[in-house]
Amino acid sequence: MARLRVGACLLAGMILAGAMAADGISERANRLHFSSLVIDTHDDTTQRFLDGGFDLGARNPLGSIDIPRMREGGLGAIFFSIWMPSKITGPEAVKRALDQFDAVREEVRKHSNDLALVTTVEGIQEAHKHGKIAALIGVEGGHMIASDLSVLRVYAALGARYMTLTHSGNAEWADSSTAIPEHNGLTGFGKDVIREMNRLGVIVDISHVSDKTFADVLAISKAPVFASHSDCRAICDAPRNMSDDMIRALGAKGGVIQINYHVGFLSQEFRNAEKAHPEWNKAIALEVQRRCGEREGCQLIEGDRITREYVMRGDLPRVAWTKIIDHIDRAVKIAGIDHVGLGSDFDGANMPFGMEDASKLPKITQALLEKGYSEGDVKKILGENTLRVMAQVERVSHELNAAK
Amino acid sequence: MGHLRASLFACVVMAGFLLSQVATGDDIADRAHKLHFSSIVLDTHDDTTQRFFSKSFDIGKRNPDGHIDIPRMREGGMNAIFFSIWIDGRTMGPPAVQKALDQIDAVHENVNKYSKDFAFCRTAEEVRRAHAQGKIAALIGVEGGHMIGNDIRVLRMFGDLGVRYMTLSHFYNDEWADSSTDKPVHNGLTDFGKDIVREMNRQGIMVDISHVSDKTFYDALEVSKAPLIASHSSCRALCNHPRDMSDDMIKALAAKGGVIQINYEKSFIDQAYKDASDKFSGGVVAMMDTLKKECGDNEECLNKKMTEMADKATAEGKLPHVSWERIIEHIDHAAKLAGADHVGLGSDFDGANMPEGMDDCTHLPQITEALMRKGYSDDDIRKILGGNLLRVMEQTERVSREMRAAQ
Repeated sequence: MARLRVGACLLAGMILAGAMAADGISERANRLHFSSLVIDTHDDTTQRFLDGGFDLGARNPLGSIDIPRMREGGLGAIFFSIWMPSKITGPEAVKRALDQFDAVREEVRKHSNDLALVTTVEGIQEAHKHGKIAALIGVEGGHMIASDLSVLRVYAALGARYMTLTHSGNAEWADSSTAIPEHNGLTGFGKDVIREMNRLGVIVDISHVSDKTFADVLAISKAPVFASHSDCRAICDAPRNMSDDMIRALGAKGGVIQINYHVGFLSQEFRNAEKAHPEWNKAIALEVQRRCGEREGCQLIEGDRITREYVMRGDLPRVAWTKIIDHIDRAVKIAGIDHVGLGSDFDGANMPFGMEDASKLPKITQALLEKGYSEGDVKKILGENTLRVMAQVERVSHELNAAK
Repeated sequence: MGHLRASLFACVVMAGFLLSQVATGDDIADRAHKLHFSSIVLDTHDDTTQRFFSKSFDIGKRNPDGHIDIPRMREGGMNAIFFSIWIDGRTMGPPAVQKALDQIDAVHENVNKYSKDFAFCRTAEEVRRAHAQGKIAALIGVEGGHMIGNDIRVLRMFGDLGVRYMTLSHFYNDEWADSSTDKPVHNGLTDFGKDIVREMNRQGIMVDISHVSDKTFYDALEVSKAPLIASHSSCRALCNHPRDMSDDMIKALAAKGGVIQINYEKSFIDQAYKDASDKFSGGVVAMMDTLKKECGDNEECLNKKMTEMADKATAEGKLPHVSWERIIEHIDHAAKLAGADHVGLGSDFDGANMPEGMDDCTHLPQITEALMRKGYSDDDIRKILGGNLLRVMEQTERVSREMRAAQ
């Protein structure tokens, strides 16, 4: 049974490799990509687990992530995001977050032939060696700890390896980039949260936070920090993206910017069109509500689908996947090759044309080689840089615990 | 330094040995001492967790009050403890979940802080390993199904955080199980309650039937694929309290391989005390309610006031004296009824009024000696001290493995 499955897998892989060659992926790029540890630090697929009716093990016509497409795209490690809107706070947020932890953990247990829940660099490497996809957990928004360090510690115990300090709204102790500032960055308690994350070995994620929060974090954190899914403001001026100065400072601290594939963060043109027609966003939101009700996984998937319909009609501009490469290249030029990685936002954002799902990831490798990046440099971007930050965060945690 | 500590330890052991010699000076005392201090002495119910939130309490130091800390556990030979996660049964939903997490974290943090003395354990095997390394095995039990917020996913996360038993209810009914001290509304377990029991089996979390109504008990017994425990209950035949177990219940529990872990609370082990207490304060539940007005949600305060109130009433002659030997009578009754394989210890230390002579965990060796004097074999005593509970843990673990494999 097991042997049959492996055989079928190999055969499928060969057929696919053939197909991808036609898709413009060179043999060299294919070899490099599928021998690399490819890590994606931000995927909102968790919401689909909760909706029910979604099977991670089967190829799905919608959305961007499932095991067959992760295999096809050579994705070796994935951070499943625990997320809910910032307006949900306090104990309600805590309970809902636990539900999502459970959803990820159950899904991984259910597909233990393909996935392994891990929390360390060693765990990722071990899973990779055994041909499994490493599954990790990131908490997207500090509002979910309900201003309670015990809850933060419990999340870490349940496997959370990064926490984004805020989502779109401010947390009780940190300002977001997309809300009116009320804390001037991090509050005193917010700084305690960072210190505790350092001690626990939870990566501090500065995606979504305000520039002042980012600056405060850099001053406080004893370990490198990362942006799990952010782009370059120099190319697309969204507050959620990072300025060149921020990228430089992040790099100087040993951190990594993990490039987000969302069209609204990649393309200034798209962003301008959206801004010029706020009524479209409203219409999209209404249609999403009509199709999905309160099912958040569905909302994320349908949001992407309906946005595409606007693009097909010519209302919103068509953004090509190669914009991702522009952002990677910009960040590399600013901060250096050691400070850029991948944080797709799959299943939680609007994907550009040509990067509809995880199966398309080898195109990134191909494009970077074409741009003249060395194989070693490509490997860094695909995952090694992220692993380095994780390893440093682990070391700082050991040191802080030993010093106690 | 290590050498100094070793000599110090030798001194303490010798002093302890001499003291026991002086105190009793007979062969049984000597044999009992040796047996006690070579056994795994496991207590399935301690409310010490509440004290972790008090600035004045340090489990690493000898405390003038309460019943549990590392020095006294060492002195009493208590080497495995279930820290209880507990909040008032009327707090439900998400706030209950968060408070439970705070307490689980407090146990983890204190175990980490004293990692030279404690080892956090999730399995019987880990408890045995901790014992072999001279450490105290620390485990977690959740005292009340209301803390899962009516959400089976939260139950699983508790399991992943190391919770190894859950009491289906506390003093009040929860959303899916009736309590023995509340008006029945579910006729035992609801269908969801039965799903909870099945999920506990699958997760390897022991089903604890202390506190639940008789009907809930029989429902749980029927549904559970693993043996059940009563983490802290005594015998109704000796003290007719609804929180205690009838002879029929004890027999049925044992027939399924379970264990009744005897509770030391005065009003659960002594009929005269229970009757007087009912008259004096309306019983334990009503007394806790009265004190809650004074202490609010501060559980440490609650336990302290409860002890003070009971001690004062006893001193004034309003409540009778209860000797620790009542504990032995309950153990003996349950053992005669169901066999020595089905009895254990669930003190309720730091959460109840202790009988005279069992003022804290340093007095535990008295239990071993008393059982020996009653003619219990060394093997049977070891089982009562902890072996029986480890057997149930192992069976629960096996059922969990089988259910997961069958999925």
